[in-house]
Amino acid sequence: MISVVVVDDHSVVIAGIRAWCALADPPIKVVDAGPSVAVAWLDPGGSADVVVFDMQLDRTGPAYADLKRLVDAGRQVVVYSGRTDRETMLTCMDIGAFTYLTKAEGEEHLVAAIQAAATHGTYTPPMLSGAFGTDDRPNRPTLAPREKEVLLEWFHCESKEMVAKRLGITASRVNHCLERVRLKYAKVGREAPTKAALVARLIQDGHVDVDEL
Amino acid sequence: MGPAERLLLRQGLKYALILRLIVSGVASLVSLVLEPGPVWWRTAAVVLGLNAWQLWFARERLRTCTEDGGTSRRWLVPLDVAVICAICLSQTWTTVLPHTSEDGALLNWVQVAAEIAVVAYPWVTGPLGLALLTAAVTAAYIAGQTMAQPELFLGGAALHLWLIVEAALSWGIYRLVRGRARTADEQVAREERLRTRTALANARRVDENEYLATLHDTASATLLMVGAGVVAGRQEWLAEQAARDLEAIRGPAAVPGSEVDLVPMLREVVRQSPLRVRWHGVESLRVPALDAVMLCHGTREALTNVLRHAGTDEATTTVAVEGGDVVIEVTDHGRGFDPASISGHHHGVTRSLVARMARIGGNATVTSKPGVGTTVRMTWPLSHGTHGQSSHSSGPIRLTDPIDTEIIAANYGKGLRWSVVGMSAIILLLLDVPKLLANLDAYDSVVAQVVALAGFLGITVVAGISTQRDRPLGGWRWPLLALALGLSVLATQAVSAEHRLGVAHWAEGDAAWWVALLLLDSPVAVFVSAVVAQYVLTYADSLIFGHAAVTVAGTVNAVLLVLSFQFAVGMIAAVLRSIAAPAARAAREAEQLRTAEAVERALHEDRKERWAALADTTVPLLDGLASGRLDPADDAVRRACAVEATRMRRLFVEAAGEADPLLHELRACIELAERNGVSVSFAEYGNRPKVPIQARRMLTEPAVAVLATARGKVRLTMVGTVGTDGGDGTDGAQESVTVSVVAARTPYAVPAPDRDGVRTAVVEEGDRLWIQTTWRGGT
Repeated sequence: MISVVVVDDHSVVIAGIRAWCALADPPIKVVDAGPSVAVAWLDPGGSADVVVFDMQLDRTGPAYADLKRLVDAGRQVVVYSGRTDRETMLTCMDIGAFTYLTKAEGEEHLVAAIQAAATHGTYTPPMLSGAFGTDDRPNRPTLAPREKEVLLEWFHCESKEMVAKRLGITASRVNHCLERVRLKYAKVGREAPTKAALVARLIQDGHVDVDEL
Repeated sequence: MGPAERLLLRQGLKYALILRLIVSGVASLVSLVLEPGPVWWRTAAVVLGLNAWQLWFARERLRTCTEDGGTSRRWLVPLDVAVICAICLSQTWTTVLPHTSEDGALLNWVQVAAEIAVVAYPWVTGPLGLALLTAAVTAAYIAGQTMAQPELFLGGAALHLWLIVEAALSWGIYRLVRGRARTADEQVAREERLRTRTALANARRVDENEYLATLHDTASATLLMVGAGVVAGRQEWLAEQAARDLEAIRGPAAVPGSEVDLVPMLREVVRQSPLRVRWHGVESLRVPALDAVMLCHGTREALTNVLRHAGTDEATTTVAVEGGDVVIEVTDHGRGFDPASISGHHHGVTRSLVARMARIGGNATVTSKPGVGTTVRMTWPLSHGTHGQSSHSSGPIRLTDPIDTEIIAANYGKGLRWSVVGMSAIILLLLDVPKLLANLDAYDSVVAQVVALAGFLGITVVAGISTQRDRPLGGWRWPLLALALGLSVLATQAVSAEHRLGVAHWAEGDAAWWVALLLLDSPVAVFVSAVVAQYVLTYADSLIFGHAAVTVAGTVNAVLLVLSFQFAVGMIAAVLRSIAAPAARAAREAEQLRTAEAVERALHEDRKERWAALADTTVPLLDGLASGRLDPADDAVRRACAVEATRMRRLFVEAAGEADPLLHELRACIELAERNGVSVSFAEYGNRPKVPIQARRMLTEPAVAVLATARGKVRLTMVGTVGTDGGDGTDGAQESVTVSVVAARTPYAVPAPDRDGVRTAVVEEGDRLWIQTTWRGGT
């Protein structure tokens, strides 16, 4: 069973996550939860498969340093934050977070994101997709026009079927595009233990050729 | 032709004719008494006849010019030329004939009459008339003189030549002053255009706001109500309300003159101020648009001054009507100042505010006490306002705009100064230098003459530079004046006694030109005294000791001619100063009329356009509700009303002039949808380029329609891309904005615009509907 530790200072949020995880198929076990990042380091949280991490633990700004330490320790971190600005999202992805979910997306996407993180797949929720698709920083990865299109349409409609219909492609092609984008972002991001696992998984699934790397 | 030029021509004509009457009248009558010629009664008949003719000519010419710009009675001028020619031809019977060639150069009254006619003619007629007169009179004079004394044929050639130079000089003054008047008119007109534009923009904005407020309170409220399903079925009161709404948004058929409500405009000014401003005032106050703009500017200025100088962030603005005056007071309890310690020139309030208020016929006072605070009080007579546009013809006379007056006066003054500078240079170099060179043996000291000449030339150059640089001589004029008088005395004393006042005595009357040049800006009394002083200095010696080369009548004629020309210049200067204010007033009145007309036209057009914009959508709905044709309980009607209300809501945001109108328009629609219990998740990414207003409306059109009628959850997103950034070549894109809305599918058609560079894509999947509009720049 997938185990998860939740770092969030809001008890209602924790309760919500517990409920969603219990209803998941197969169910996900929330091993610990608390307002401090310490719960992710100490057992039972220390050995959880996935860390759900609220960026805004205090008012001093996003907890990038905590995120970095978790990533460097090889943890799969799903950032789950109220912040929706592009800069924060892209910074977390650069640091090496597994994915970034906004609080509004929790109900639809959190369980799927946890499952993907546990199996070292990829998961790009719509808001993150929008942030990728409008990324204009100089060090951004180079995206193909079709990839950018998929990112933005996914951001707009939140339904891969609709995106497929709109662009006249198959749903699996939509997923394929999103995975390639995620890989490209992994390539420009920091060196992190999770990256090797991600690449290995993408090659294994046949989304990426070894030659491309 | 602008008002400054028109007024100049009329006044110029009047003064030229009066000058001519006086000069030739005095010269001929003095000659009649002192040197009546061979047969006394013949001279008398000619002299009296000439004066009578000139009097009548002046009267008629002035009258026709006032009536129809001088287009009727065209025969007056040729007849006048003929009369002057006849006088010249008949001089053998009316003048004392000179005995020698030397004496021939002296003036007789016929010559004075001819010359003064030439001097006056530029103002009386066009260049053709002047040329005709000069040629005819020169020919007639030579012929007349030759008839009288064939042996002196062309003896006075130099003088005839001088007549032509005089014509050119007089024409030069006329052109220069008139040119500057035209420049003044252009400058005033430029300022006017600026003011009119501001007034127009303001009037339009105020009218637009008024209209939107009406729309908000009437049609929008009704449609919103029906859209929300408040009205269960056809109701009497709803029909009446819809009918009233229709009437209200159609607006008054005619724009109520150029008048606007001052109060909302002032409140807007107050609102924009970063100060905390307490407001006391009347509810509404209608004044002409132009004056409203000025009053608003004045108020803003006063508030800005509180902010800058008072050291407080609080002020009170009071608007009241007191005894027929609009009174606006801006009061603060800041640090204040001692009015006595600050000169009017340096204090922003007094300078611009007082000038501005004077411009619209009001006034402004500033009272202040150190440590107590400052009150700026602007009053403006309301009686002007109630006259509306008619005040330009019959209303009380407004104070003149001091700025326009300054512009016109400065231009007149500069034109005249240039002409006198030019004239004194020409007289010195073309008349006096030849005289000096031709009579080298007539002087006690040639060196002194050369020094005097060089000195006068120097004064001309100084005056020229001062005019060129627009820097008045100021206090320097007095030493220069002393120098000019000194040079005049020097030049007179250095002429040998028997040649004094003769041809060799070049400085005789001409020296007064430099006095005139230096004192052009001075009061008439100072000008006349200084010129007379110059003549006294020159003639005193000859009068006392009797040294002179000419007869008394000759002297009178000569002095009179030159002196009158000089006085004429002084008089023109005074006249120009006095007509600057009326010219500015005329300009202002014309401006008010034009502004009023422009405002009326623009507002009418705006209203027509707004009505047209509503004609296809709102009007049929209200019409249907008013007539009972549409049932407010009907789902389709409710939906249409909701969409229309949302669209109007968007219009209000548009008019508010937000920095990011697209975002604000969407937010406004979201707010309405949320009020209806719709949960909207909104997100936007990317940098949005500026979208033209028409495209902006198309972009938000489906979102507006969906949000107005949706139930449940709606996802609204927006993405912007600014231009291509090339480089890698793979993800460069043109600028675009995409608005996307995902909602539960509705049974109604949702607008799918495909115009103004906007394209719509619709995807349906299950029970969800996805509509996406994209605008691409440059399409």
